Amino acid sequence: MPDTSRIDARGPRFAASITAVLLLVATVLSLIGISTQRGAYGWFAYQPLADATFRPDGWAVQQLPLLDRVADPGFVVVLVIALLFVWGVTSPRTAPWGVLYRRVVQPRLAPPTEFEDPRPPRFAQGVGLFVTAAGLLLHLAGVPWALPIAAAMAFVAAFLNAVFGLCLGCQLYLVLQRAGLIGRRGPAAV
Amino acid sequence: MGRRVRHERTHRPSPRSRALALTVVDVTFALLAAGALVVLTTIAGLVFRRRQGRARTVDSVEAVDPALLGAESLGPEATLVQFSTEICSRCPGVRRVLTQIADARDGVSYIDVDLTHRPDLAQHFRVLQTPTTLVLDRRGVIRTRFGGTLERAAVESELTRLQKEPTRA
Repeated sequence: MPDTSRIDARGPRFAASITAVLLLVATVLSLIGISTQRGAYGWFAYQPLADATFRPDGWAVQQLPLLDRVADPGFVVVLVIALLFVWGVTSPRTAPWGVLYRRVVQPRLAPPTEFEDPRPPRFAQGVGLFVTAAGLLLHLAGVPWALPIAAAMAFVAAFLNAVFGLCLGCQLYLVLQRAGLIGRRGPAAV
Repeated sequence: MGRRVRHERTHRPSPRSRALALTVVDVTFALLAAGALVVLTTIAGLVFRRRQGRARTVDSVEAVDPALLGAESLGPEATLVQFSTEICSRCPGVRRVLTQIADARDGVSYIDVDLTHRPDLAQHFRVLQTPTTLVLDRRGVIRTRFGGTLERAAVESELTRLQKEPTRA
């Protein structure tokens, strides 16, 4: 019963695998970047710019100028992932990993046996976007550890989806709805 | 910049090697943390998968009103109630299994309840994940609860048990 509104269930899991790998890289990069560095140590102590405001016990991410926070490799990778999430939410049909799957991977596999609704994976992309965007903004605001924690949280969700087919974002839907944060309140017409 | 570094070096003998050593520590820590993250997530996934589809016996006295679920009546012997949402990747699979089971058994009916716009129902039945499946007996009392995906055999054995129960007043 494959009709046009349904998608091959393996597509989103393929995309989640790539996203999970990227997020793991992002987690490592942001752990060794400025997000977790104390002011007394690390390469930035020798930057002439930092000298003026150098405090030995502060967090590096709070002392460095905004440009250095943006230039942090972890920040750049998480930013790229967040932009891919934006793409996945706004235009799931043209999102790169989906296109890669349909053009390159799917033709080499057996015809799909399992189809699914495209809405759940799209919602999950939105949850991923929310988590990574929060990490990016907190990092820019100078909050230490925000970036690796956000990347790690998003990694957990992407990994569980890729390996176990468990959509954590979808599980969250009901919790958020019961908390009254999303969805319509009260009984609707059946 | 080069001059400056040399200048600092004469005052503090090894800041650069100290920084380098710390970087090595940092990288090792980051890689270990990433490894731990992968291992812990895998364990969480395995635990979650093991817990899926387990039948949980419910001790309830409330007879469910079919109108609350948007249905006209319950099955004369048993009813399978599935809670879904629009945002539920595993609901269609469970729906397929449950409709097949209900079709194959006399006196068993199947009701699908979409919770997308019904937080009141999610609250009432304490649904925290979709799919969630309830098995009601002939009086409409919730007897068993399945969280997440389920195994056909587990549902079949629950229904067989309920259908064998003597009719009570």
